[in-house]
Amino acid sequence: MAQTSTLSNPLITQADVSFAEAMVNVKGLVKRYGRFVAVNDVSLSIRRGEIFGVLGPNGAGKTTTLEIIEGIRKADAGEVIVDGLDVRTHRRAIQQRIGVQLQATTLFPDLTACETINLFGALYPHATNTAELLAEVGLTEKASARPQDLSGGQRQRLALALALVNNPTLVFLDEPTSGLDPQSRRMLWDTVLRLRERGKTVVLTTHFMDEAQTLCDRIAIMDHGMIIAQDTPAGLIATLGASAAITCEFTENGAPSHAITATELRALPGVTDARDGLEHKVIYTAHVEQTLVALLQYAAARSVTMNHLQVNAPTLEDVFLKLTGRGLRD
Amino acid sequence: MKAFFAMLWASVVMLSRNRVLLITSLGLAVVSILIFGWLFGSNGASTLSLGVVDQDHSAISQQIVANLKHNKSLVVHEGSTDAETQALRNGQRGAVIVMPAGFGAAFMQGDAAMQVYYDQSSPVEQAIAQAAVQSIIASLNQQSSAHTAHVTLHEQAVNTHNLRQVDWLTPGMLGMLLMWANLPVGVTLVSWRKEGIMKRLAATPLRPSALIGSQILARLLLSLGQGVILLAVAIFVFKVQIIGSWMALLATTTLGALAMLAIGFVIGSFARTAEVADAISMLISFPMMFLGGSYFPTSSAPAFLAPLINVLPLSYLNDALRQIINNGASLASVQTDLLVLAGWLVAALLLSVRAFRWA
Repeated sequence: MAQTSTLSNPLITQADVSFAEAMVNVKGLVKRYGRFVAVNDVSLSIRRGEIFGVLGPNGAGKTTTLEIIEGIRKADAGEVIVDGLDVRTHRRAIQQRIGVQLQATTLFPDLTACETINLFGALYPHATNTAELLAEVGLTEKASARPQDLSGGQRQRLALALALVNNPTLVFLDEPTSGLDPQSRRMLWDTVLRLRERGKTVVLTTHFMDEAQTLCDRIAIMDHGMIIAQDTPAGLIATLGASAAITCEFTENGAPSHAITATELRALPGVTDARDGLEHKVIYTAHVEQTLVALLQYAAARSVTMNHLQVNAPTLEDVFLKLTGRGLRD
Repeated sequence: MKAFFAMLWASVVMLSRNRVLLITSLGLAVVSILIFGWLFGSNGASTLSLGVVDQDHSAISQQIVANLKHNKSLVVHEGSTDAETQALRNGQRGAVIVMPAGFGAAFMQGDAAMQVYYDQSSPVEQAIAQAAVQSIIASLNQQSSAHTAHVTLHEQAVNTHNLRQVDWLTPGMLGMLLMWANLPVGVTLVSWRKEGIMKRLAATPLRPSALIGSQILARLLLSLGQGVILLAVAIFVFKVQIIGSWMALLATTTLGALAMLAIGFVIGSFARTAEVADAISMLISFPMMFLGGSYFPTSSAPAFLAPLINVLPLSYLNDALRQIINNGASLASVQTDLLVLAGWLVAALLLSVRAFRWA
């Protein structure tokens, strides 16, 4: 009864999006490969004009879920409504108004950037201007370059241009920044934000927490084919009940101390949760000052040294850790 | 339709930029024609030096010898079996025919057999000798059924075998070109599937039929374009004559290209990686190039190869093209070849439709 357990999960906000304003409505989606369940009863609702992030580790089912919504794969069970149309019966109509960037950048060999955009444009009833599109993704000077002459980042930007070639109302970007250098990442973020300004709905997957936190209006966190939380970034972080995450390393005579346990730390005043990191401990607190003072006294009483003390605002990474007990890229 | 033509145009552009494809198909065929045309000489029709052994000395056998001597493309030498076969071994004869004792009598009963020896190392002379002997037998049989005592040879029938190496080679190179240009379509499909291009296209409103149709038409246009270039080289450099009709040639070329494409699709449906598809295509193409009779006739191949040769689509394509280009055959007279090619086309299409995978 995955359905019940999902609904009973306090992290899922109730379906407060009415059918009319939802751009995408997914209910009870299931996809199996043999005995492996890639997508296990996924339900989500994406509003018009928002940037919606699907966050999760590799193999969580993000790509499969997106590809079912895009009409590339068929679900074993469940319903997908895009812009009021059922993907099973109106696949082609849906595909005319969506833009897709797949996880792996795939381009025709032997076709130039300009020719590739022209070709994809011709697959739709209406296409945007090729020169404008090249300028949008910063490839004007590479118009006559073939894929083999483009860098990885440039190929990815060309793939983004192809996702926008039909002036779609809904854009899917599957890990658009993986493998990009920091500068290209920033460029892509700007492009995504401009898409929202133009009223487009953007769905993106990522395993970068900072990316999800910066770009997304709402986020669904996926793990093992299921959505384990779905809310705004702030709402998700609020579920931790902590205003700060304190990270520090305890050492005894220069060696890591094993005397300090997370259980003991949880007993300190203000602490909402504590866990073991690789070499360090992470302590979540609702009252930073109170906890810090108690922590210093605790360390002094045990005669251990505190190193690399950091106080940060909690992030989505912390949310994911709390939900799954694992890091995003474990 | 806009999507179809865009895919078609893009495919033609991509194919024409694919150097490996152009070199293996058009390049190989043109270079072969140039090399063989220049090496073996293209000027002056070769005449066949034919040894005739008449052990029968009947009126009929003497009549046949007299008729053969009339034929301008034959130089007839009479002698004993030993002498003539020795001359054949020495390369002084292109072929030797032996009419055994009792040939005339057997002929009157409609059961005459003559022995024919070919020089297997020389494809053109072998082809001429075969054609000459076949036409002799054909005309003998005709007259035999009419119970006429006179034996005359259709001189014209023998004269059309005024065949040079390059004339014989041209249709074979066209057939080979069609194979090399179209069989690798499977490699393209597999690499598109493997690299995710198919999946990306599946996210667009492009119909699968438009994708496959554009691939077929693009390859077909490329084949015809390359075929025109090849024939232009043969015609303008070596004055090769296209004796048959261009329409028959076009129809046969199209059918041949489609049959090769369909086989390519089968390879593309079963192979999992582009490397495997490429290896399978090569494994099929190379033996077929030689066993299919592109470079030399296969009629003298050892008996154990005959069943293989007799199923190769290229054998039938080459035969049909030779009949049309060299002998001026009509489509009706090469219908067996065309039927076999059509059979390959249908069987391969059915198989690839059953096994086709998009991703």
